[in-house]
Amino acid sequence: MNAQAKLLIAVALLCAVGGGLAAYKSQMLGVPFWQDQKVDEWLVEAKISFLATGRDVKARLSLPSKAVDQNAGQESGSLGYHYDVEDDRGEFTAIWSSQEREEGQALYYRVRFKEGPVSGGEPTPANGEPEAPDIPNLPGSLGTAARSIVGGAKGLSVDSDALFVTFYEQINSANASQEYVLVKRHYEKENLANPKIAMGIDLLGMAGVPARLSYGVRLNDEFVGQQPMPLVEYFDGAAWKVRDPMEPSKILDGRDVFVWHRGGGPLLDVTGGENSKVTFTVVKDRIPLSRLTDLRESPLLISTILALPVSERAVFRYIVLIPLGAFVVVVMRNIIGIPTLGTFMPVLLALALLEIKPVQGITMFAILVGAGLWFRFLLSRMNLLVVPRVAACVVIVTLLMMLMGVISFQLGMSVGIKITLFPMIIIAWTLERMSLIWEEEGKRSAFTQVGGSVLVAVCAYYFMKVSQIQYWAFYFPEMLLILLAGILLIGRYTGYRLSELIRFKTFSNA
Amino acid sequence: MPEESVMTADETSSENGAATSRWWHRWFRTPGELRELGVVGINMRNARYLLPNNPRRLYELVDNKLRTKVLAEAEGMTVAETYGVLRTPHDANRVEKFLNGREAFVIKPTRGSGGKGIMVIDKRVGKNFVKPSGAEVTAGDVKNHVSNILAGLFSLGGKRDYALIEYRVQPAKLLTDMSFQGAPDIRVVMLHGYPVMAMLRASTKESDGRSNLHQGALGIGIDIATGMTVRAIHHGRPVTHHPDLGIDLIGVQIPQWETILQMAVTCQEMTGLGYLGVDIMIDESLGPLMIEVNARPGLAIQMANGIGLLKRLEPIVEAHRNSPAADLAEKIAFSKKYFRAKLPVPRD
Repeated sequence: MNAQAKLLIAVALLCAVGGGLAAYKSQMLGVPFWQDQKVDEWLVEAKISFLATGRDVKARLSLPSKAVDQNAGQESGSLGYHYDVEDDRGEFTAIWSSQEREEGQALYYRVRFKEGPVSGGEPTPANGEPEAPDIPNLPGSLGTAARSIVGGAKGLSVDSDALFVTFYEQINSANASQEYVLVKRHYEKENLANPKIAMGIDLLGMAGVPARLSYGVRLNDEFVGQQPMPLVEYFDGAAWKVRDPMEPSKILDGRDVFVWHRGGGPLLDVTGGENSKVTFTVVKDRIPLSRLTDLRESPLLISTILALPVSERAVFRYIVLIPLGAFVVVVMRNIIGIPTLGTFMPVLLALALLEIKPVQGITMFAILVGAGLWFRFLLSRMNLLVVPRVAACVVIVTLLMMLMGVISFQLGMSVGIKITLFPMIIIAWTLERMSLIWEEEGKRSAFTQVGGSVLVAVCAYYFMKVSQIQYWAFYFPEMLLILLAGILLIGRYTGYRLSELIRFKTFSNA
Repeated sequence: MPEESVMTADETSSENGAATSRWWHRWFRTPGELRELGVVGINMRNARYLLPNNPRRLYELVDNKLRTKVLAEAEGMTVAETYGVLRTPHDANRVEKFLNGREAFVIKPTRGSGGKGIMVIDKRVGKNFVKPSGAEVTAGDVKNHVSNILAGLFSLGGKRDYALIEYRVQPAKLLTDMSFQGAPDIRVVMLHGYPVMAMLRASTKESDGRSNLHQGALGIGIDIATGMTVRAIHHGRPVTHHPDLGIDLIGVQIPQWETILQMAVTCQEMTGLGYLGVDIMIDESLGPLMIEVNARPGLAIQMANGIGLLKRLEPIVEAHRNSPAADLAEKIAFSKKYFRAKLPVPRD
């Protein structure tokens, strides 16, 4: 059997297996094949992690009442732990307990619910009369300033909603009155986790409105392992309401925020462990809950990615994109014929662009490479050996990254911080290769190759950004086998590259 | 041997429609046209000729110039005399000991590619060395260059390397007349031991002593049968005279052509590579010297000759299949018979 036949058989097999599995998943298991057929469901996973100290461990996590009440899908993952849910007059707490645990521990609690406008932060009637708020003990001039703020606000605002809005708008505002600045500075000095929120709660308390801290989760699957989002719950005389102090006048939208914890108690309480924290990961799931168990128990390995805990699964969001980038590189090099600097450097660049926007990303890349190249030429005058020179480049690139981060932050462009997403070693090698090509073949060649790499990276970025393609790569990873078949076929492509049609345009017969 | 199929190799090309000019030729040529011209692209070169005929393990024989030289000397081929091999940083400090007081020499990496990292010294002035361009370098510069070579700066894949000091070829006057500085070399592309095409690469002011065609060097096609230059290109366009020197480039007879062809075929036999390019320089007093063997010869040679490589590679594949045991003389005779170029009409 010749190579050609082997290749065709391999391609046919890959297409059959990949396509077959995808068809089975979409037809038999009901995973929607097209992105817009989505069943919009949020899967929120809380991950509790702590260092057990060798004693008995007990972890308590306050649960969203919505999850328990409405029978939304919930489950907990905790190997070797005893688990149950405690109900205290409508406030639910998950309790894990185990004996003599040591080292790092991770506990999971997952909730899934349909996407909708209800956030869980709606007014709820109080369980009895709320306690009178604690009046903070502010010394001297601070107390006077705070009382003056409260007095002023009370004169203008008629109800607790209005007070909440007034206080937080002033606290967040850049040009608040002297009194706010004075009090705010005091709270910031106290080293509280959220000085602004604590100040607002105290001011509300002084104005006679009971308020307390509440926690929510941002419904955005771009954050992996997000911190609980602090919210403020306040009592308006009849019911408790939750609002986001950063956007005080806005009623919480259930499509953006999910209120996880209300009621004022602790969100997480761990005994027998240190450094405990809870992080949330949110995934928009397209698989009906009823099907999920089928998938998990399916003997086919295709479902493995869905059997992983959500936070681990989120890592694959980017990993499954790498083959797509590699495919673009293959097409651009072997069919179009664009020269690139290093084979897969463009893929890494494209991954960085996914996080930073392309225009800003390429600008930063250009500045970084330009400045780095200049330093590299200074270095080349010293006639250094190769490895020390590349190491020197790494140091310079590091410093440049820090410098650019600081400068752009000072200029108010927070995007500058994202510069660290550029793979540094790749940039150092790019500088080294580019300057060598510059010396050996001239600057034109160097710019062609770097420009080619950037062009390929941008193409790869736009390809990887198509949400339908992302969707297939993530929910139908077996379709990557079809991509593999395509790559194998290109591997045997013996036709002309597009660039060669131009290169040989002057070809004339002798 | 099926003569009919072979006979049609070069003849059909000029009669068909691909030669007629179309508006798009200013920007590109269609794949159909290129195919008709028999142009080989990179993908085709790799998939059809390189990968099946050049086993990976043989690359070492040609990527390492020391090994190539040992093989060539065993075959009785003339190569540039090796003055010394610098292997350690310690050797780099003692370059002078290897030079033995010689005036002219060349330092090159044993694993270099594409002419990278080659330093040519023509003579000495006091403690300094003079390059062909007239620029002077100090002993320290030479030492640094050797250190860079040893660190693998010019080698394939950045592997650690040795520096080779060897005889500085004094190219035949006929050839230096055609080149602005730099030493012109002859590239013969071979398939299964049959000479396919040959060209002379001569530098220009623009290419700065280097013989890379895309940097502005001249590619001058040579007729396999006679060793006469038939065509020259500069940046892909046909020219007849050297852009800087004004000398006529067409119709020059390359000396000792027979020896060059035999050398090229021997290189194929000694390395076992199916598809390769052999680089040869002609020394004023020593005659043709084998400089290096390239396992990935480029495609510009077809531009220089104005003939698509495929028009020659396909008949060779056929001939090789029909008589796998052909010897050196038969192969050269085959190429001379079928690849004879239409000699240029004498001008004036």
